[in-house]
Amino acid sequence: MSEFKSGFFVGGESCNGRVLVVDDEPDIRKVVRMTLQKAGYDVLEAENGEKAIETINYGENRLLLDVMICDIRMPKVNGIEAIAYFRQNYPRVPLIVLTGFPDTDMATALLRQGVVDYLVKPVEGEKLKASVARAMEQRELAHL
Amino acid sequence: MTIISPTMSHPQAENQGSEPAPASPPMRVAIIGAGRGGMALLDVLHQISRIQIVGITDQNPLAPGLTRAQELHVPVYDRVTDLITHQGLNLVIDVTGDPAMESVLREEVPAGADVVNGQTARLLWVLVQHESTLQTELLHAEKLAGIGSFAAGIAHDMNNPLQLILGLAENLTDETDLEAVHLQAHDIIEAVKRTTAICRDLTSYSRRSSLRQDCLIGVSGKLDEALKIARYAVALQDIDIRKLYQPDVVVKGNPDELLHVFVNLITNAVQAMDHHGTLTLETHAMADATQIRVSDTGSGIAPELLGRIFEPFFTTKPPGKGTGLGLYNIKNVIHHMNGTIGVDSQIGRGSTFTLTFPGESGADERTTSS
Repeated sequence: MSEFKSGFFVGGESCNGRVLVVDDEPDIRKVVRMTLQKAGYDVLEAENGEKAIETINYGENRLLLDVMICDIRMPKVNGIEAIAYFRQNYPRVPLIVLTGFPDTDMATALLRQGVVDYLVKPVEGEKLKASVARAMEQRELAHL
Repeated sequence: MTIISPTMSHPQAENQGSEPAPASPPMRVAIIGAGRGGMALLDVLHQISRIQIVGITDQNPLAPGLTRAQELHVPVYDRVTDLITHQGLNLVIDVTGDPAMESVLREEVPAGADVVNGQTARLLWVLVQHESTLQTELLHAEKLAGIGSFAAGIAHDMNNPLQLILGLAENLTDETDLEAVHLQAHDIIEAVKRTTAICRDLTSYSRRSSLRQDCLIGVSGKLDEALKIARYAVALQDIDIRKLYQPDVVVKGNPDELLHVFVNLITNAVQAMDHHGTLTLETHAMADATQIRVSDTGSGIAPELLGRIFEPFFTTKPPGKGTGLGLYNIKNVIHHMNGTIGVDSQIGRGSTFTLTFPGESGADERTTSS
Protein backbone atom coordinates (compact mmCIF):
# COMPACT_ATOMS: atom_id res chain seq x y z
CA MET A 1 0.00 0.00 0.00
CA SER A 2 1.16 3.53 -0.75
CA GLU A 3 2.08 5.83 2.08
CA PHE A 4 0.96 9.40 2.46
CA LYS A 5 2.12 12.18 4.69
CA SER A 6 0.27 15.48 5.19
CA GLY A 7 -1.70 14.85 2.04
CA PHE A 8 1.40 14.53 -0.13
CA PHE A 9 2.31 11.47 -2.07
CA VAL A 10 5.61 10.07 -0.86
CA GLY A 11 5.72 6.60 -2.22
CA GLY A 12 3.80 4.29 -4.49
CA GLU A 13 3.60 1.44 -6.87
CA SER A 14 2.35 0.95 -10.38
CA CYS A 15 -1.25 2.08 -10.42
CA ASN A 16 -4.21 3.03 -12.53
CA GLY A 17 -3.63 6.72 -11.89
CA ARG A 18 -3.29 9.40 -9.27
CA VAL A 19 -6.38 11.11 -7.93
CA LEU A 20 -6.55 14.18 -5.68
CA VAL A 21 -9.61 14.33 -3.42
CA VAL A 22 -10.47 17.83 -2.17
CA ASP A 23 -13.07 17.90 0.62
CA ASP A 24 -13.18 19.56 4.02
CA GLU A 25 -14.72 16.46 5.61
CA PRO A 26 -12.05 13.91 6.61
CA ASP A 27 -14.75 11.19 6.53
CA ILE A 28 -15.46 11.85 2.87
CA ARG A 29 -11.78 11.80 1.97
CA LYS A 30 -11.48 8.55 3.89
CA VAL A 31 -14.24 6.67 2.06
CA VAL A 32 -13.34 8.05 -1.37
CA ARG A 33 -9.76 6.98 -0.74
CA MET A 34 -10.94 3.56 0.40
CA THR A 35 -13.07 3.05 -2.71
CA LEU A 36 -10.49 4.30 -5.19
CA GLN A 37 -7.50 2.55 -3.63
CA LYS A 38 -9.34 -0.74 -3.93
CA ALA A 39 -9.74 0.05 -7.63
CA GLY A 40 -5.98 0.54 -7.93
CA TYR A 41 -5.66 4.32 -7.82
CA ASP A 42 -3.19 6.35 -5.78
CA VAL A 43 -5.14 8.88 -3.76
CA LEU A 44 -3.97 12.25 -2.49
CA GLU A 45 -6.03 14.37 -0.11
CA ALA A 46 -6.54 18.09 0.47
CA GLU A 47 -8.93 19.70 2.93
CA ASN A 48 -9.66 22.85 0.95
CA GLY A 49 -8.90 24.62 -2.31
CA GLU A 50 -5.81 26.31 -0.91
CA LYS A 51 -4.30 22.98 0.21
CA ALA A 52 -5.27 21.46 -3.14
CA ILE A 53 -3.32 24.14 -4.98
CA GLU A 54 -0.30 23.47 -2.72
CA THR A 55 -0.62 19.73 -3.32
CA ILE A 56 -0.90 19.96 -7.07
CA ASN A 57 2.12 22.25 -7.20
CA TYR A 58 4.17 19.92 -5.03
CA GLY A 59 6.96 17.98 -6.70
CA GLU A 60 5.95 15.51 -9.32
CA ASN A 61 2.23 15.96 -8.72
CA ARG A 62 2.19 18.75 -11.27
CA LEU A 63 3.00 16.16 -13.93
CA LEU A 64 1.56 12.97 -12.52
CA LEU A 65 -1.84 14.00 -11.23
CA ASP A 66 -4.52 12.41 -13.39
CA VAL A 67 -7.89 13.36 -11.92
CA MET A 68 -9.26 15.72 -9.28
CA ILE A 69 -12.43 15.18 -7.24
CA CYS A 70 -13.58 18.40 -5.65
CA ASP A 71 -16.32 19.45 -3.21
CA ILE A 72 -17.99 22.85 -3.60
CA ARG A 73 -18.80 24.08 -0.10
CA MET A 74 -15.46 24.36 1.67
CA PRO A 75 -13.67 26.91 3.84
CA LYS A 76 -10.98 29.31 2.57
CA VAL A 77 -10.72 28.78 -1.18
CA ASN A 78 -14.07 27.14 -1.95
CA GLY A 79 -14.72 24.60 -4.70
CA ILE A 80 -15.93 27.12 -7.28
CA GLU A 81 -12.81 29.27 -6.88
CA ALA A 82 -10.56 26.22 -6.85
CA ILE A 83 -12.19 24.76 -9.96
CA ALA A 84 -11.80 28.04 -11.86
CA TYR A 85 -8.11 28.09 -10.85
CA PHE A 86 -7.52 24.49 -11.88
CA ARG A 87 -9.35 24.83 -15.19
CA GLN A 88 -7.16 27.83 -15.98
CA ASN A 89 -3.82 26.53 -14.74
CA TYR A 90 -4.16 22.78 -15.22
CA PRO A 91 -6.66 22.39 -18.06
CA ARG A 92 -5.38 18.89 -18.75
CA VAL A 93 -6.38 17.51 -15.36
CA PRO A 94 -10.04 16.38 -15.56
CA LEU A 95 -12.23 17.50 -12.70
CA ILE A 96 -15.10 15.69 -11.04
CA VAL A 97 -17.37 17.58 -8.65
CA LEU A 98 -18.61 15.61 -5.63
CA THR A 99 -21.04 17.73 -3.68
CA GLY A 100 -23.67 17.36 -0.98
CA PHE A 101 -26.09 19.72 -2.67
CA PRO A 102 -27.82 18.97 -5.98
CA ASP A 103 -27.95 22.32 -7.79
CA THR A 104 -28.89 22.07 -11.46
CA ASP A 105 -27.80 25.60 -12.35
CA MET A 106 -24.43 25.15 -10.72
CA ALA A 107 -24.00 21.72 -12.32
CA THR A 108 -24.70 23.19 -15.78
CA ALA A 109 -22.32 26.10 -15.21
CA LEU A 110 -19.54 23.78 -14.00
CA LEU A 111 -20.02 21.29 -16.84
CA ARG A 112 -19.72 24.22 -19.25
CA GLN A 113 -16.42 25.11 -17.57
CA GLY A 114 -15.19 21.68 -18.54
CA VAL A 115 -15.95 19.70 -15.39
CA VAL A 116 -16.25 16.04 -16.40
CA ASP A 117 -18.94 14.99 -13.97
CA TYR A 118 -21.16 16.45 -11.24
CA LEU A 119 -21.83 13.79 -8.62
CA VAL A 120 -24.14 14.25 -5.67
CA LYS A 121 -23.37 12.60 -2.34
CA PRO A 122 -24.04 9.90 -1.41
CA VAL A 123 -22.60 8.35 -4.55
CA GLU A 124 -22.17 4.61 -4.93
CA GLY A 125 -18.65 3.27 -5.29
CA GLU A 126 -19.33 1.81 -8.74
CA LYS A 127 -20.59 5.14 -10.03
CA LEU A 128 -17.61 6.99 -8.56
CA LYS A 129 -15.16 4.51 -10.10
CA ALA A 130 -16.91 4.72 -13.49
CA SER A 131 -16.70 8.51 -13.35
CA VAL A 132 -13.00 8.43 -12.48
CA ALA A 133 -12.37 5.88 -15.27
CA ARG A 134 -14.13 8.16 -17.75
CA ALA A 135 -12.07 11.11 -16.55
CA MET A 136 -8.90 9.02 -16.99
CA GLU A 137 -9.90 8.32 -20.59
CA GLN A 138 -10.33 12.04 -21.24
CA ARG A 139 -6.92 12.61 -19.72
CA GLU A 140 -5.37 10.01 -21.99
CA LEU A 141 -7.14 11.38 -25.05
CA ALA A 142 -5.79 14.83 -24.22
CA HIS A 143 -2.26 13.41 -24.21
CA LEU A 144 -2.60 11.95 -27.72
CA MET B 1 -25.84 56.01 13.55
CA THR B 2 -28.09 54.44 16.12
CA ILE B 3 -31.78 53.76 16.15
CA ILE B 4 -33.87 51.97 18.67
CA SER B 5 -37.30 50.60 17.93
CA PRO B 6 -39.81 52.55 19.97
CA THR B 7 -41.65 51.04 22.89
CA MET B 8 -43.66 52.75 25.55
CA SER B 9 -41.80 51.09 28.36
CA HIS B 10 -38.66 52.93 27.44
CA PRO B 11 -39.54 56.42 26.34
CA GLN B 12 -35.89 57.40 26.68
CA ALA B 13 -35.12 55.03 23.83
CA GLU B 14 -37.23 57.06 21.45
CA ASN B 15 -35.08 60.12 21.99
CA GLN B 16 -32.13 58.37 20.37
CA GLY B 17 -34.10 57.06 17.44
CA SER B 18 -34.23 58.52 13.99
CA GLU B 19 -37.76 57.19 13.49
CA PRO B 20 -40.22 60.06 13.20
CA ALA B 21 -41.81 60.81 16.55
CA PRO B 22 -45.61 60.67 16.68
CA ALA B 23 -47.03 64.05 15.68
CA SER B 24 -49.33 64.18 18.71
CA PRO B 25 -48.63 63.13 22.30
CA PRO B 26 -49.45 59.49 23.08
CA MET B 27 -53.00 58.52 23.99
CA ARG B 28 -53.14 57.91 27.74
CA VAL B 29 -55.15 54.81 28.52
CA ALA B 30 -56.30 53.17 31.78
CA ILE B 31 -57.35 49.51 31.86
CA ILE B 32 -59.91 48.28 34.39
CA GLY B 33 -59.96 44.53 34.74
CA ALA B 34 -56.79 42.42 34.65
CA GLY B 35 -58.21 39.01 33.79
CA ARG B 36 -57.60 37.41 30.40
CA GLY B 37 -59.21 40.33 28.55
CA GLY B 38 -57.32 43.03 30.40
CA MET B 39 -54.03 41.17 30.06
CA ALA B 40 -54.51 40.64 26.30
CA LEU B 41 -55.22 44.35 25.87
CA LEU B 42 -52.22 45.26 27.98
CA ASP B 43 -49.92 43.00 25.94
CA VAL B 44 -50.91 44.46 22.59
CA LEU B 45 -51.46 48.11 23.53
CA HIS B 46 -48.16 48.27 25.40
CA GLN B 47 -46.32 47.55 22.12
CA ILE B 48 -47.83 50.54 20.35
CA SER B 49 -45.73 53.67 20.67
CA ARG B 50 -48.70 56.03 20.32
CA ILE B 51 -50.44 54.56 23.34
CA GLN B 52 -49.29 55.02 26.91
CA ILE B 53 -50.89 52.78 29.51
CA VAL B 54 -51.05 54.89 32.66
CA GLY B 55 -52.17 52.00 34.82
CA ILE B 56 -54.27 48.92 35.36
CA THR B 57 -56.44 47.74 38.23
CA ASP B 58 -58.51 44.76 39.33
CA GLN B 59 -60.51 43.84 42.41
CA ASN B 60 -58.68 40.53 42.49
CA PRO B 61 -55.07 41.17 43.57
CA LEU B 62 -54.08 37.81 41.99
CA ALA B 63 -55.44 38.68 38.53
CA PRO B 64 -52.84 37.56 35.93
CA GLY B 65 -52.85 40.95 34.20
CA LEU B 66 -51.51 42.60 37.35
CA THR B 67 -48.44 40.34 37.39
CA ARG B 68 -47.93 40.99 33.69
CA ALA B 69 -48.24 44.75 34.30
CA GLN B 70 -45.49 44.57 36.91
CA GLU B 71 -43.26 42.76 34.43
CA LEU B 72 -43.94 45.47 31.87
CA HIS B 73 -43.41 48.22 34.45
CA VAL B 74 -46.98 49.44 34.01
CA PRO B 75 -48.34 50.96 37.26
CA VAL B 76 -50.81 48.79 39.16
CA TYR B 77 -53.54 50.63 41.13
CA ASP B 78 -55.42 49.26 44.14
CA ARG B 79 -58.37 51.60 43.74
CA VAL B 80 -60.29 52.31 40.55
CA THR B 81 -60.90 55.94 41.54
CA ASP B 82 -57.16 56.60 41.90
CA LEU B 83 -56.57 55.29 38.40
CA ILE B 84 -59.39 57.03 36.58
CA THR B 85 -58.64 60.40 38.09
CA HIS B 86 -55.12 60.20 36.69
CA GLN B 87 -54.20 63.54 35.19
CA GLY B 88 -54.41 63.83 31.43
CA LEU B 89 -56.24 60.57 30.96
CA ASN B 90 -57.75 60.16 27.47
CA LEU B 91 -59.47 56.79 27.62
CA VAL B 92 -60.69 54.26 30.17
CA ILE B 93 -61.15 50.71 28.93
CA ASP B 94 -63.36 48.68 31.24
CA VAL B 95 -63.27 44.98 30.52
CA THR B 96 -64.88 43.86 33.78
CA GLY B 97 -68.37 43.53 32.23
CA ASP B 98 -69.69 44.63 35.63
CA PRO B 99 -72.81 46.94 35.53
CA ALA B 100 -71.84 48.42 38.90
CA MET B 101 -68.49 49.48 37.45
CA GLU B 102 -70.32 51.24 34.62
CA SER B 103 -72.13 53.50 37.04
CA VAL B 104 -68.95 54.23 39.00
CA LEU B 105 -67.19 55.24 35.81
CA ARG B 106 -70.11 57.39 34.67
CA GLU B 107 -69.76 59.41 37.86
CA GLU B 108 -66.04 59.43 38.44
CA VAL B 109 -64.32 59.65 35.06
CA PRO B 110 -63.29 63.27 34.53
CA ALA B 111 -64.57 65.24 31.59
CA GLY B 112 -62.32 64.92 28.56
CA ALA B 113 -61.75 61.20 29.01
CA ASP B 114 -63.81 58.66 27.10
CA VAL B 115 -64.97 55.30 28.41
CA VAL B 116 -65.09 52.07 26.45
CA ASN B 117 -67.05 49.32 28.15
CA GLY B 118 -69.80 46.73 27.68
CA GLN B 119 -70.04 45.21 24.19
CA THR B 120 -67.61 47.78 22.78
CA ALA B 121 -64.93 46.68 25.22
CA ARG B 122 -65.74 43.08 24.35
CA LEU B 123 -65.31 43.84 20.65
CA LEU B 124 -61.96 45.48 21.43
CA TRP B 125 -60.87 42.35 23.29
CA VAL B 126 -61.86 40.15 20.33
CA LEU B 127 -59.86 42.37 17.96
CA VAL B 128 -56.87 42.31 20.28
CA GLN B 129 -57.00 38.51 20.49
CA HIS B 130 -57.16 38.43 16.70
CA GLU B 131 -54.11 40.70 16.45
CA SER B 132 -52.26 38.54 18.94
CA THR B 133 -53.05 35.38 16.95
CA LEU B 134 -51.94 37.10 13.74
CA GLN B 135 -48.59 38.04 15.31
CA THR B 136 -48.01 34.43 16.35
CA GLU B 137 -49.01 33.14 12.91
CA LEU B 138 -46.77 35.69 11.21
CA LEU B 139 -43.82 34.64 13.33
CA HIS B 140 -44.39 30.99 12.46
CA ALA B 141 -44.94 31.71 8.74
CA GLU B 142 -41.75 33.74 8.55
CA LYS B 143 -39.84 31.01 10.39
CA LEU B 144 -41.07 28.38 7.92
CA ALA B 145 -40.23 30.65 4.97
CA GLY B 146 -36.71 30.98 6.37
CA ILE B 147 -36.30 27.23 6.64
CA GLY B 148 -36.52 27.11 2.83
CA SER B 149 -33.08 28.68 2.76
CA PHE B 150 -31.71 25.84 4.89
CA ALA B 151 -31.85 23.38 1.97
CA ALA B 152 -28.21 23.71 0.90
CA GLY B 153 -26.93 23.49 4.46
CA ILE B 154 -29.11 20.51 5.34
CA ALA B 155 -28.17 18.70 2.13
CA HIS B 156 -24.48 19.26 2.88
CA ASP B 157 -24.75 18.08 6.48
CA MET B 158 -26.94 15.06 5.74
CA ASN B 159 -25.25 13.87 2.56
CA ASN B 160 -21.75 13.89 4.00
CA PRO B 161 -22.52 11.30 6.71
CA LEU B 162 -24.65 9.39 4.19
CA GLN B 163 -21.64 9.22 1.87
CA LEU B 164 -19.57 7.84 4.74
CA ILE B 165 -22.25 5.28 5.60
CA LEU B 166 -22.61 4.16 1.98
CA GLY B 167 -18.88 3.98 1.38
CA LEU B 168 -18.19 2.01 4.56
CA ALA B 169 -21.14 -0.35 3.99
CA GLU B 170 -19.92 -1.07 0.45
CA ASN B 171 -16.47 -1.76 1.83
CA LEU B 172 -17.85 -4.06 4.53
CA THR B 173 -19.40 -6.35 1.92
CA ASP B 174 -15.96 -7.81 1.24
CA GLU B 175 -13.90 -6.70 4.23
CA THR B 176 -12.14 -9.66 5.80
CA ASP B 177 -10.20 -7.94 8.56
CA LEU B 178 -12.42 -8.32 11.64
CA GLU B 179 -10.88 -5.34 13.42
CA ALA B 180 -11.58 -3.13 10.39
CA VAL B 181 -15.16 -4.42 10.32
CA HIS B 182 -15.65 -3.39 13.93
CA LEU B 183 -14.13 0.06 13.42
CA GLN B 184 -16.15 0.75 10.30
CA ALA B 185 -19.41 -0.45 11.89
CA HIS B 186 -18.68 1.96 14.74
CA ASP B 187 -18.10 4.81 12.24
CA ILE B 188 -21.45 4.00 10.59
CA ILE B 189 -23.25 4.19 13.92
CA GLU B 190 -21.66 7.57 14.68
CA ALA B 191 -22.59 8.88 11.22
CA VAL B 192 -26.21 7.79 11.71
CA LYS B 193 -26.25 9.62 15.06
CA ARG B 194 -24.98 12.80 13.37
CA THR B 195 -27.69 12.58 10.73
CA THR B 196 -30.47 12.07 13.24
CA ALA B 197 -29.18 15.00 15.31
CA ILE B 198 -29.72 17.26 12.28
CA CYS B 199 -33.33 16.09 11.96
CA ARG B 200 -33.88 16.56 15.67
CA ASP B 201 -32.50 20.13 15.68
CA LEU B 202 -34.58 21.15 12.69
CA THR B 203 -37.87 19.60 13.73
CA SER B 204 -37.45 21.21 17.13
CA TYR B 205 -36.76 24.58 15.52
CA SER B 206 -39.58 24.42 12.95
CA ARG B 207 -42.31 23.56 15.45
CA ARG B 208 -44.83 26.18 16.40
CA SER B 209 -43.68 28.26 19.38
CA SER B 210 -44.87 26.61 22.51
CA LEU B 211 -47.65 28.31 24.43
CA ARG B 212 -46.04 27.52 27.74
CA GLN B 213 -45.56 30.23 30.28
CA ASP B 214 -42.59 32.52 29.86
CA CYS B 215 -39.57 31.24 31.73
CA LEU B 216 -36.00 32.19 32.45
CA ILE B 217 -33.75 31.41 29.50
CA GLY B 218 -29.99 30.93 29.68
CA VAL B 219 -28.82 33.35 27.00
CA SER B 220 -25.44 31.90 26.07
CA GLY B 221 -26.90 28.39 25.63
CA LYS B 222 -29.63 29.80 23.43
CA LEU B 223 -27.08 31.74 21.33
CA ASP B 224 -25.05 28.55 20.81
CA GLU B 225 -28.19 26.68 19.81
CA ALA B 226 -29.00 29.46 17.32
CA LEU B 227 -25.51 29.17 15.81
CA LYS B 228 -26.14 25.47 15.15
CA ILE B 229 -29.37 26.28 13.33
CA ALA B 230 -28.05 29.36 11.49
CA ARG B 231 -25.25 27.35 9.89
CA TYR B 232 -27.86 25.60 7.74
CA ALA B 233 -28.95 28.96 6.32
CA VAL B 234 -25.56 30.60 5.91
CA ALA B 235 -22.02 29.34 5.45
CA LEU B 236 -20.14 29.95 8.68
CA GLN B 237 -16.92 28.15 7.80
CA ASP B 238 -15.01 31.32 6.89
CA ILE B 239 -16.58 33.49 9.58
CA ASP B 240 -14.54 34.21 12.69
CA ILE B 241 -16.95 33.75 15.60
CA ARG B 242 -16.20 35.58 18.87
CA LYS B 243 -18.25 34.71 21.92
CA LEU B 244 -18.06 37.20 24.75
CA TYR B 245 -20.44 35.55 27.17
CA GLN B 246 -20.82 36.67 30.73
CA PRO B 247 -21.74 33.60 32.78
CA ASP B 248 -25.30 32.96 33.97
CA VAL B 249 -27.00 35.70 32.00
CA VAL B 250 -30.73 34.99 31.81
CA VAL B 251 -33.77 36.74 30.36
CA LYS B 252 -37.44 35.97 30.78
CA GLY B 253 -39.49 35.02 27.75
CA ASN B 254 -40.52 32.25 25.39
CA PRO B 255 -37.42 30.12 24.60
CA ASP B 256 -38.66 29.12 21.11
CA GLU B 257 -39.27 32.73 20.16
CA LEU B 258 -35.93 33.91 21.53
CA LEU B 259 -34.16 31.15 19.57
CA HIS B 260 -35.88 32.40 16.42
CA VAL B 261 -34.74 35.96 17.19
CA PHE B 262 -31.12 34.83 17.59
CA VAL B 263 -31.16 32.67 14.43
CA ASN B 264 -32.51 35.62 12.46
CA LEU B 265 -29.97 38.11 13.82
CA ILE B 266 -27.05 35.72 13.23
CA THR B 267 -28.25 34.88 9.71
CA ASN B 268 -28.61 38.57 8.82
CA ALA B 269 -25.17 39.33 10.26
CA VAL B 270 -23.46 36.58 8.25
CA GLN B 271 -25.29 37.53 5.07
CA ALA B 272 -24.10 41.13 5.53
CA MET B 273 -20.50 39.89 5.61
CA ASP B 274 -20.54 38.00 2.31
CA HIS B 275 -18.87 34.94 3.85
CA HIS B 276 -15.82 36.71 5.35
CA GLY B 277 -15.64 38.66 8.61
CA THR B 278 -16.14 38.51 12.34
CA LEU B 279 -19.41 37.68 14.08
CA THR B 280 -19.43 38.77 17.72
CA LEU B 281 -22.01 37.46 20.19
CA GLU B 282 -21.96 39.26 23.48
CA THR B 283 -24.00 38.99 26.68
CA HIS B 284 -23.75 41.50 29.44
CA ALA B 285 -25.55 41.60 32.80
CA MET B 286 -25.71 45.03 34.37
CA ALA B 287 -27.22 46.13 37.67
CA ASP B 288 -30.58 47.05 36.20
CA ALA B 289 -30.60 45.49 32.75
CA THR B 290 -29.35 42.70 30.53
CA GLN B 291 -27.85 43.32 27.12
CA ILE B 292 -27.25 40.96 24.23
CA ARG B 293 -25.32 42.14 21.20
CA VAL B 294 -24.93 40.56 17.78
CA SER B 295 -22.29 42.37 15.71
CA ASP B 296 -20.90 41.84 12.24
CA THR B 297 -18.12 43.42 10.22
CA GLY B 298 -20.23 43.47 7.08
CA SER B 299 -21.57 45.97 4.61
CA GLY B 300 -23.57 48.04 7.12
CA ILE B 301 -26.99 49.62 6.60
CA ALA B 302 -27.43 52.91 4.74
CA PRO B 303 -28.51 55.71 7.12
CA GLU B 304 -31.62 56.45 5.04
CA LEU B 305 -32.77 52.82 5.41
CA LEU B 306 -31.93 52.43 9.10
CA GLY B 307 -35.21 53.93 10.29
CA ARG B 308 -37.23 51.52 8.17
CA ILE B 309 -35.67 48.15 8.93
CA PHE B 310 -38.20 47.24 11.63
CA GLU B 311 -41.15 47.99 9.35
CA PRO B 312 -43.14 44.99 8.13
CA PHE B 313 -42.36 43.87 4.56
CA PHE B 314 -39.31 46.14 4.33
CA THR B 315 -36.38 44.23 2.83
CA THR B 316 -33.26 45.04 0.87
CA LYS B 317 -32.87 41.44 -0.24
CA PRO B 318 -33.73 40.46 -3.82
CA PRO B 319 -37.27 39.20 -4.53
CA GLY B 320 -37.79 35.71 -3.18
CA LYS B 321 -34.85 35.99 -0.77
CA GLY B 322 -36.39 37.83 2.16
CA THR B 323 -39.90 38.18 3.52
CA GLY B 324 -39.28 41.57 5.08
CA LEU B 325 -40.79 40.20 8.28
CA GLY B 326 -37.64 39.08 10.09
CA LEU B 327 -36.80 42.24 12.02
CA TYR B 328 -40.46 43.17 12.38
CA ASN B 329 -41.12 39.87 14.14
CA ILE B 330 -37.95 40.21 16.20
CA LYS B 331 -39.11 43.62 17.37
CA ASN B 332 -42.50 42.19 18.38
CA VAL B 333 -40.92 39.32 20.33
CA ILE B 334 -38.50 41.65 22.11
CA HIS B 335 -41.24 44.14 22.97
CA HIS B 336 -43.36 41.30 24.31
CA MET B 337 -40.41 40.50 26.58
CA ASN B 338 -40.46 44.16 27.62
CA GLY B 339 -37.14 44.72 25.91
CA THR B 340 -35.88 47.07 23.24
CA ILE B 341 -33.86 46.38 20.12
CA GLY B 342 -31.47 48.97 18.78
CA VAL B 343 -29.07 49.02 15.87
CA ASP B 344 -25.83 50.82 15.33
CA SER B 345 -24.49 50.67 11.81
CA GLN B 346 -21.80 52.15 9.63
CA ILE B 347 -21.53 51.58 5.90
CA GLY B 348 -18.54 49.38 5.14
CA ARG B 349 -17.80 48.77 8.85
CA GLY B 350 -20.70 46.62 9.98
CA SER B 351 -23.74 46.61 12.24
CA THR B 352 -24.47 45.86 15.89
CA PHE B 353 -27.93 44.86 17.06
CA THR B 354 -28.40 45.38 20.79
CA LEU B 355 -31.21 43.79 22.76
CA THR B 356 -31.81 45.38 26.15
CA PHE B 357 -34.00 43.82 28.81
CA PRO B 358 -34.70 45.73 31.98
CA GLY B 359 -34.66 44.13 35.40
CA GLU B 360 -32.22 42.08 37.36
CA SER B 361 -30.43 39.26 35.61
CA GLY B 362 -28.97 36.07 36.91
CA ALA B 363 -31.17 36.23 40.00
CA ASP B 364 -32.55 32.82 39.25
CA GLU B 365 -30.10 30.19 38.09
CA ARG B 366 -32.84 28.06 36.54
CA THR B 367 -32.06 28.09 32.84
CA THR B 368 -33.97 26.58 30.01
CA SER B 369 -32.56 24.77 27.04
CA SER B 370 -34.65 22.88 24.57
